[in-house]
Amino acid sequence: MRTRMSPAVTAGLLRRNEFYLLLVIVVFSLAITIVNPAFLTVENMFDLIRSSAGMAILAVGFFVVLLSGGIDISFPAVAIVAQYITVNAIIALGVDNLWLAFAISSAIGIAFGAVNAFFISFFKVPTFIVTLGTMNIFHGAMLEFVGTKAINAGQLPNCFKGFGLADILSLHRADGSTYGLSVFFLVLVGVILVTWVILKYTVLGRVIYAMGGNMEAVKRSGFNIRRTQFFIYCYVGLLASIMGIIHVSLIRYSNATYIIDSELLHVIAAVILGGASILGGSGTLTGTLLGVVMISILEKNLVLLGLSSYWQQFFVGLMIVLGVSITHIQKRIQNRRSLALTRE
Amino acid sequence: MADVFLEVRRVSKAYEGVQALNEVSLSIGAGEVHCLVGENGSGKSTLIKCIGGVVTPDSGQIVINGRVHEHLQAIDAIREGIQIIYQDLSLYPNVTVAENISLNQFVERRASFVNWAEVRAIAARGLAEIEEDIDLDSLVQNLSVAKRQVVAITRSLTQGAKLIIMDEPTSAITRQDVDHLFSVIARLKQKGISTLFISHKLSEVFEIAEVVTILRDGKAVGDFPASELDDQKLTFLMTGRNIQYTPYRFPREKQQQAPLLEVRNLSRRGHFHNVSFSLWAGEILGLTGLIGSGRTELALALFGLNPPDSGEILLGGKPVRIRSSEDAVRLGIGYLPEDRLTQGLFISQSIGDNIVITVLKKLLGFLRLLDPGRMRKTEEGWLDDLKIKAPSVRVRAWSLSGGNQQRVVLAKWLATKPKVFILDGPTIGIDVASKSNIHEIIRALAEQGIAIVVISDEIPEILHSCNRVLVMREGRLEKEVPDAAAVGEAEMLSLVSGKLEHGVARS
Repeated sequence: MRTRMSPAVTAGLLRRNEFYLLLVIVVFSLAITIVNPAFLTVENMFDLIRSSAGMAILAVGFFVVLLSGGIDISFPAVAIVAQYITVNAIIALGVDNLWLAFAISSAIGIAFGAVNAFFISFFKVPTFIVTLGTMNIFHGAMLEFVGTKAINAGQLPNCFKGFGLADILSLHRADGSTYGLSVFFLVLVGVILVTWVILKYTVLGRVIYAMGGNMEAVKRSGFNIRRTQFFIYCYVGLLASIMGIIHVSLIRYSNATYIIDSELLHVIAAVILGGASILGGSGTLTGTLLGVVMISILEKNLVLLGLSSYWQQFFVGLMIVLGVSITHIQKRIQNRRSLALTRE
Repeated sequence: MADVFLEVRRVSKAYEGVQALNEVSLSIGAGEVHCLVGENGSGKSTLIKCIGGVVTPDSGQIVINGRVHEHLQAIDAIREGIQIIYQDLSLYPNVTVAENISLNQFVERRASFVNWAEVRAIAARGLAEIEEDIDLDSLVQNLSVAKRQVVAITRSLTQGAKLIIMDEPTSAITRQDVDHLFSVIARLKQKGISTLFISHKLSEVFEIAEVVTILRDGKAVGDFPASELDDQKLTFLMTGRNIQYTPYRFPREKQQQAPLLEVRNLSRRGHFHNVSFSLWAGEILGLTGLIGSGRTELALALFGLNPPDSGEILLGGKPVRIRSSEDAVRLGIGYLPEDRLTQGLFISQSIGDNIVITVLKKLLGFLRLLDPGRMRKTEEGWLDDLKIKAPSVRVRAWSLSGGNQQRVVLAKWLATKPKVFILDGPTIGIDVASKSNIHEIIRALAEQGIAIVVISDEIPEILHSCNRVLVMREGRLEKEVPDAAAVGEAEMLSLVSGKLEHGVARS
């Protein structure tokens, strides 16, 4: 046994999805840098973080749902609805305060999550179907009851604009102008830390893993599954509502009819690429974040390679298919090994 | 029997008019190894569920440690130290051994946070207590079924089990692993922990049990000391009738004719090596060996699901290429898989749909569309032929008993009119009466001229139903036993486990 240990450890590393993903990211980044040295600059990295932080937050939420063996596709709708209602409310109330904006938005996000969880835990409806329905209910109801008029930069309260421009670190370019690391980064780090602690160090988090592995066994252990499901879907709702605020602060424009379709695709692509199983129970937060990095680079930097932006859609689709195929091929190889002689 | 730990007093339970349990009483002493046997539908699972507090009996009492419970709840049963290990083991395949053992304890304590050092400590202590050594960090999905069982037992133990109930723990593990499991049970006994063990395999009942409770049609036939029972008597008490085995004879002279199937030097790296044998029409050939001996892998190769790297397969004297299950079916080879629930049946579809799925192409009519009349006729024909107990062919497969389900799978393959029929574990998880019925069907098929291969772990099954036996070990064909009736169980067992070095030349 002991003599086999060290090759086993190396093999473990080589079998890790994260390792290969990291490798691809490094190779891809080098390729872009060779064509366009502007890629590998601190400024471009800061830009990438500013523009991708929202997506990363959504991905973390989606990862948690996927881990539990469920799926939630309503989050882009939750994000946009929470955002639009919040912006309107802040204008109507005349209190230009970011904390209030977050409070309103979070309440909406958590409430929508609770609606999802209600149908999922009480009526045992498949999660995909529930969230497919609710995403249209949320969005449709908002268009009818709140309005459809877009809010442009001129009308947007200052708290959002200020949040979008705030940096936690400023650097000077050669010509003396400044650029910086967005405060979004701080929000993202916070979300990652909280999620990591929940998943790794709370019984709730471990039960989320267990649910994805064997739901029946969790029921038999006497754990309250209903409460866990409420937590999961409310948490995703909360993260989506945070993303909604980040989104409007970044683009300074809130359009009620705009559903973040591409965001849904990108988030799913990132999480799947990161090695999380669509069937639940396996995957890591690190993998998810690497997936986000990969998709963000693809999304924002193909132009630097001289390719038209249409290629972006093509590549993201390709990534989903490749990502899932690789994970499945790995599984099959493992299965074949275990079918073979398993003497010890 | 020292102190009585558990006493079941005249418990009854009816489901929709069916009396599942009728005034059943049972008592288990501390540290006692107790066996519960009975055919499918005799009320074993209902009884277990009553003891575990999952099902509330209509009448009767359950007394644990002297405390009388009229309405036992699951959580009370757990607090009193009753742990049920279901057949599926209820483990989390995607997390580590340590967490599987410890997580439920954190849940039970209503803890909010996980202390990883404690998770490992609980697991390590539990494993040490029953003197087992399993890597705490490996994922449960990478363990063998036998090791998973040990994990499940350890988990029960760390949750303060006084009585561990195991629902058919031996149905999916090899003989060696069964021995190991029994040694674990013996260690539990030394600690004063009682075991209630449910099994279909009679030989095991005698090996392990001190007291045997027999259920028949929801009634307890009685508690018997295992020493007072033998195979015949137990079978009689369970079924109410005597079942006789007569060995299957295949006339030697028929082996002078050309064989139907010939396998020459078949190899697949890591699976099996240089296997050659012949199979005659009308034969029942046993194929046995431990799990990992290559027997299932070889069978899958003949059915195209695990194509060999080298070697030849001849059917009716002509070399054939079998690279997929489609090829195999076209050539007239049928394969009844080991796991009928996941590989053999469309569990949520009707019996009829299950039966005709393999022959849809033959049931086309006008415009090459499926002909409902002919489909119905085929389906009902098989229902009658194999005496499948069901009100109609429209009944869903999941509602049938194990024995009847297996008959549906048999019908599905027989409808293809196979020339060679491979049956992998044809009676796993099937009770004694249905078992002998399935053996009769297999025998009748052989007599009709189908060449049959039966793969099984169960030595008595192999010896009773086959005329010739191949024993595989470590990927090689270890031994051919030309006349199954001439060898005893013990001898066969040592051949399989490789404990006998130089063949069978002692009889």
